[in-house]
Amino acid sequence: MFLRMENIYKKYGSLYANKDVGLTLKKGEILALVGENGAGKTTIMKVLYGLVKPDSGDIFINDKKVDITNPRAAIKHGIGMVQQHFMLFDEFTVMENIVYGREPRGKLFFDVKKAKQDVINLGKKYELPLDPDRGLNGMPVGLKQRVEILKVLYQDTDIIIFDEPTAVLTPQEVTELLKTMKSLAAIGKSIILITHKLNEVMEVADRALVMREGEKVGDVLVKDTSIKELSYLMVGRHIPNRKVPKVKVGQTVFETKNLSIVKKDVAILDDVSINVKRGEIVGIAGVSGNGQSELVEAVFGLKKSTSGNVIINGVDVTNTTIHNVRDNGVALVPEDRNIHGSAAMATLTENSIMGYYHLDGFSKYGVIDYKASEEFTKELINEFDVASSSTKQLMNSLSGGNVQKLILAREINHKSPFLIVAEPTRGVDIGAMEFIHKELIQKRTNGDGVLLISSELTEILDLSDRIYVIFEGQIKGEFTRENATKEEIGFLMLGGNSIE
Amino acid sequence: MIMAMVIDIEFIAHILNSTFRLMTPILFVALGSALCNRVFIFNIGLEGMMLTGAFFAIVANYYTHSVIISLLAAMFSAGLVAWVAGIFMVKFKGAMLVVGISVNILMLGATTFLMQIIFGVKGAFVDTSLVSIPKVNVEFLRNVPFFYTLLGSLTYLDYFAVVLAVILYYYMFRTVSGFRLRSIGFNKEAANSIGINADRIQIGAITFSGILSGLGGALLSMGAVTMFIQNITSGRGFMAMAAGALGSAHPIGVVFASTFFGLAQTLSNIFDTQIISSEFMKAIPYLATIVALGIFNYTKIKRGGRINNI
Repeated sequence: MFLRMENIYKKYGSLYANKDVGLTLKKGEILALVGENGAGKTTIMKVLYGLVKPDSGDIFINDKKVDITNPRAAIKHGIGMVQQHFMLFDEFTVMENIVYGREPRGKLFFDVKKAKQDVINLGKKYELPLDPDRGLNGMPVGLKQRVEILKVLYQDTDIIIFDEPTAVLTPQEVTELLKTMKSLAAIGKSIILITHKLNEVMEVADRALVMREGEKVGDVLVKDTSIKELSYLMVGRHIPNRKVPKVKVGQTVFETKNLSIVKKDVAILDDVSINVKRGEIVGIAGVSGNGQSELVEAVFGLKKSTSGNVIINGVDVTNTTIHNVRDNGVALVPEDRNIHGSAAMATLTENSIMGYYHLDGFSKYGVIDYKASEEFTKELINEFDVASSSTKQLMNSLSGGNVQKLILAREINHKSPFLIVAEPTRGVDIGAMEFIHKELIQKRTNGDGVLLISSELTEILDLSDRIYVIFEGQIKGEFTRENATKEEIGFLMLGGNSIE
Repeated sequence: MIMAMVIDIEFIAHILNSTFRLMTPILFVALGSALCNRVFIFNIGLEGMMLTGAFFAIVANYYTHSVIISLLAAMFSAGLVAWVAGIFMVKFKGAMLVVGISVNILMLGATTFLMQIIFGVKGAFVDTSLVSIPKVNVEFLRNVPFFYTLLGSLTYLDYFAVVLAVILYYYMFRTVSGFRLRSIGFNKEAANSIGINADRIQIGAITFSGILSGLGGALLSMGAVTMFIQNITSGRGFMAMAAGALGSAHPIGVVFASTFFGLAQTLSNIFDTQIISSEFMKAIPYLATIVALGIFNYTKIKRGGRINNI
């Protein structure tokens, strides 16, 4: 046995992040570590990588007990981690990023020439070629991840931890990455893959270790299990298959006509004409950073559009105020729930009435009616099952999934006919995800329009009645639920032209 | 009369000489500021650190009459203040502005108070026993009046300031240590993830900026004149911060930016004594600071770059 972790305990406050967790890993093995958010899988990996100090527990490599107190020690023992949020320097080149921390040096200076050669050789060795002089700014996510992987390999690691590596990738990039993992395992590297995407586990892993609420609840060979069993282990109950009832499509509730944003002669949004009808969820599929954020901002009045129109319920609201857009019936669950969606240092009550505090029932003559607001908040919390202890607690004390639920509750509750949701389930666990999806479908079934923006293609395909694909600010294709295929949408997302 | 002076070649030499002498104290501090900017630290306490150096240089000077010990005292005292400030900023995550301003106010008060305790005087302290930093001998140029004036009354430390800028340039952009230093300013978390102790590098940079400020301060109190005056720095530390930003935290850029402020001070001095003696002329260097920073940031924003100085 190559790596062994035994009896790892880690407590945060009164909560066990890891409770008596053990783990083993063989040479050349791909181990999937699965579990919902907060199940403790990231914690145990941070313990292994020296980012978190466990309360107790031992780590053995080749049956020898090792002490890993910081990442440097982990690297010394041959353990590397490809983090979920890339730990890269956009201002540096590929070479500088890869050799960072172990730079070749001459007598006095950084030996740039040798470093470049090292990077080229490394790329050849692992068949992951990269131009060492290329800057990271504006590099596609898939390539950035390749830089991360090479960075880890450059440190001569034998164990590579991947933390949710596919969360940010397109389907094609995912296929590529899984292939890379397999070939790394084939040459004797051991891999730990943290994920909650079970189809990836089935495809690439040899063994799966399932965690729930800080404890290990299963350790199974992938060939002996199924997605169904794994998800049961993860959640502790069976997730019902989602049913999307058919509804009759009504009038157009939202429309953009040739909407463009041009900045310094570059079109960030290029002639976007889309529409959403009542009783429809319309998905915008695309890799993050292809104009989705700008589209939302232009519609909502956060950013001025250069040309084109935004029409809500027949009213032209192009480049008016946010207030006006909201009053005309648009609600928004923004992409970044912590920056735009809520105020971390405000209470749940304050967050629940944000944007609507001026309406009757919440304030009178400019004075907020806290009693009524609190009652309202309690209703939202009950209805949307937000795990919280009091309406007076601060927003930042809630977990990501619960923050998202409360924001969604607020935006849905005001019964505006049109709702924009951007990345509604980013970083939330399966339970919350299921709940959020159910609410979105409910909203649509009630006869309202929903515009769903997500870089999670599965989510788009599951929920949308109609799908637009966006690439570099342009709408590259339109699909209905019936004729949408993962492959063709993935192809368009990467800038390919329609296959027709 | 003024016209006559402008044409006079020796007058130009005089201006250049004065610019250089007024530039170097700022340059030392500005290089420190540049280092701090590179590790994403906004060190507004440089003014107070410079003052600390200027004061303790004179204290050590008074007791030992040794230039070397005076300079060491300046570097040590200002470095110590910077180290403590660094710990507050980085380890205890104190707001950088608050820590910096506290340093400035504290050191202004402390030096004024200690001046009374140690020297028993208020306002200014001069003593015939004080030694000054040795000047580079230019007697051999006596027959070439232009160069004689241009290079006259410059101390070794003045020259060292420019040499230091070049050394720092090589340090920042050619050495591994400089590479890591720059990386901290870009992404501290990424540095930590590979096991680089980013906190230590940040505190190190702040401490070093303090040591440089100490040298800059010593140059003020032991260079052209040898005395300590209450608040002798009078905003030069802030000017140096502006020079650090204006030079894009690049050592060579910082030399040019500091020169600009040296020139502004020179012009202020000349007009002050020769044309109209007004408070307005005294404000020239400070106005120049604001205008220069304004133009600099405006063009930077126009170009779509991000502003380095936080």
